[in-house]
Amino acid sequence: MENRPLEYDYTVAKMFMLTTIVLGIVGMLVGVILAFQLAYPELNLVLGEGLAEYTNFSRLRPLHTDAVIFGFTLSGVFATWYYVGQRVLKVSMAESKLLMFLGKLHFWLYLVVVAAVVVSLLAGVTTSKEYAEFEWPIDIAVVVVWVIFGISMFGLIGIRREKSLYISVWYYIATFLGIAMLYLFNNMEIPTILGQSAAGESGIGAWYHSVSMYAGTNDALVQWWYGHNAVAFGFTVPIVAMIYYFLPKESGQAIYSYKLSLLSFWGLMFVYLWAGGHHLLYSTVPDWMQTMGSIFSVILILPSWGSAINMLLTMKGEWQQVAASPLIKFMVLGSTFYMFSTLEGPIQAIKSVNAIAHFTDWIVGHVHDGVLGWVGFMIMAALYHMAPRVFKREIYSKSLMAAQFWIQTVGVVLYFTSMWIAGITQGMMWRAHDEFGNLAYSFIDTVTVLHPYYAIRGIGGLLYLVGFLMFAYNIYKTMSARRVEESELQNASPMGA
Amino acid sequence: MFHWLEKHPFFFAVGVFLVISFAGLVEILPNFAQQSRPVIGTAPYSTLELAGRHVYIKNSCNACHSQLVRPFKSETDRYGHYSLSGEYAYDRPFLWGSKRTGPDLMRVGNYRTTDWHENHMKDPAGVVPGSIMPAYRWMFTNTADIDTAFAEQLTVAQFFSVPYNQPVPMKDGSTKVVKMGGSVAEANALALAEAELIAADMKDQDVKDAVANGQIPEIVALIAYMNSLK
Amino acid sequence: MDIAQLQAYGYFTLITILVIGLYSYIYHLYTKKKDADGVDYESYSNMALKDDIDDTPVAPISEDEVPVEGVKRNRRDI
Repeated sequence: MENRPLEYDYTVAKMFMLTTIVLGIVGMLVGVILAFQLAYPELNLVLGEGLAEYTNFSRLRPLHTDAVIFGFTLSGVFATWYYVGQRVLKVSMAESKLLMFLGKLHFWLYLVVVAAVVVSLLAGVTTSKEYAEFEWPIDIAVVVVWVIFGISMFGLIGIRREKSLYISVWYYIATFLGIAMLYLFNNMEIPTILGQSAAGESGIGAWYHSVSMYAGTNDALVQWWYGHNAVAFGFTVPIVAMIYYFLPKESGQAIYSYKLSLLSFWGLMFVYLWAGGHHLLYSTVPDWMQTMGSIFSVILILPSWGSAINMLLTMKGEWQQVAASPLIKFMVLGSTFYMFSTLEGPIQAIKSVNAIAHFTDWIVGHVHDGVLGWVGFMIMAALYHMAPRVFKREIYSKSLMAAQFWIQTVGVVLYFTSMWIAGITQGMMWRAHDEFGNLAYSFIDTVTVLHPYYAIRGIGGLLYLVGFLMFAYNIYKTMSARRVEESELQNASPMGA
Repeated sequence: MFHWLEKHPFFFAVGVFLVISFAGLVEILPNFAQQSRPVIGTAPYSTLELAGRHVYIKNSCNACHSQLVRPFKSETDRYGHYSLSGEYAYDRPFLWGSKRTGPDLMRVGNYRTTDWHENHMKDPAGVVPGSIMPAYRWMFTNTADIDTAFAEQLTVAQFFSVPYNQPVPMKDGSTKVVKMGGSVAEANALALAEAELIAADMKDQDVKDAVANGQIPEIVALIAYMNSLK
Repeated sequence: MDIAQLQAYGYFTLITILVIGLYSYIYHLYTKKKDADGVDYESYSNMALKDDIDDTPVAPISEDEVPVEGVKRNRRDI
């Protein structure tokens, strides 16, 4: 080891960067197809009548959500962990053969699970629970992958040189624990092969089929405790981990307040889990839980904004960097969208607002300004920051990056504005009564009226996808760009014209 | 206090876990048993209905259709009585959905017929002009998986004491017995008997022929499930 | 006393303790400059800013690596 200077080893980070990009393209492409299918239903037959079963909106929809959550986002989380983890703990993965092996095993098993998920969802093998559609054999594989990720993470922490854990590491630990807990409880199910053998039978029906442990209202309660917090621990917590590392590092500014980050961390951990009930307002779960979900959703603004404001204030006195660097633009707009969607969410969780918003496209819009504006922007920024360092080359094109930024920003704005209008229009039309107390509109009236908004949303999504392809191209070309010395890489990432 | 935690990853992780599990313990645990008692008039799904429910799930119908009527006048006017917790007692998984791209289906059995569903699933826009729902023509040729539905019945009867072959109280004071076969052959025979009643109301000759030959197309199972939603 | 009353008292006490705890903790953080190891808490930001493998850790895990401001360990080009 002493012959060669010790370096951080980014092998595993690079592997996950690849899946981030590939699965990002898949997830977003399917999303764009879905968006246009709602505007132009004939697109359900895009590959002809024979394949209609597999190109149909309802069959593709879980593929879109899962590809974006568990493909794009989780890959991004893993890629950044295998990068940030080493750096803030000041320990290289090259120092431990075991950790290196686990990291690679983590990647390859993850790929196997992704392949299994794609095949099973297209075949219609699903439990129907949102973001937990996988049947028990895949669930078991997911748990194995997750445990390997955990061992690999705590293994690296175990051999660290830096005694104290940096903020990002707290959030990564929380991501690991949170998703582990939620996933296990929500996917409690009894395979029918167990059920029939208890009844003295065997070999009846599909071997992979299972029955949820919970029924009806209980199932809904557990599912949305999961569903909401899968968002928390997949889309918020690890993304906050990223911004706490990448924004200070790229801008060369110390975090505005380390203390505030501490308070918002524990605040977020405590408050987030209560808020799941806001998905079930006016449903058959007990009133007090609905109220609790509503109240805690509003309280959730505090820790969320604590992190977001901390990020914006980190740029204090350095705002010229936002103008100068498209990479900083991505992160600053990302945290702005974070503030925006963590304000929008609580507003939708207020009972009287939810009465209109629930079941409409406004919810879809809310999810997307969070995911496109915050998660997507932050992961792309992280990869842009990592690329020169893992490939030791300058970013291929700064102007391409700037163009991408504006195209995607326009895309996000088109997306959420059209969905706001669509959602509120539909919510109001559903509840409209005429002067005799009859319903003013039939259901189909409330569908046809949305056509222009669905078309605009499709265009917004398409713009975002185009931007993402530009990002993929930029990263690809970076791998063959001008070589740079490590000493140039202290803060701002080097970029070609 | 906290920066001690930051230097001790194990205790840090324990701390995080305690904090995040707190909400689940308080919110979810206490109401578990009480929630899952069926209301009067709610019966378990028959084999064919359950197979239809699997078709519904397989095609993610719940991505666009909710099964939850909220207690508002506009919703009860449109869909019928608001939902009660006990009505979902036999729903594993629940199918409330999260988006109403299409209308709620909680009580669709009250106002749509076999005939309507048949035409609608073949060509939605032909039945409801302006509809953006895609056609589901493959359901007319794919065969429903009765065996898996039976395996599920065995499982829920075994583990969750779902009352198959037992009298279940109905709203009018009578009782209803939902039969579950004692073997695969018996289960298939029960499902086929039910399918024949549905197929009799249908027009598609291929579907009628298939049922006459002992095959149950997915559409028949799905319609049986839709008709059971009341 | 019935259970609801007990719950109410318990709830009130818990909230009070949490509020007092939180605010005294914030007060503690913002008045005390250094932590138990004598490190200014805000300097922990350097864990991200100075994160090369041969940068000195802010709070090294082993005793023999005493932090010296601005000096890099094992710097190969010096």
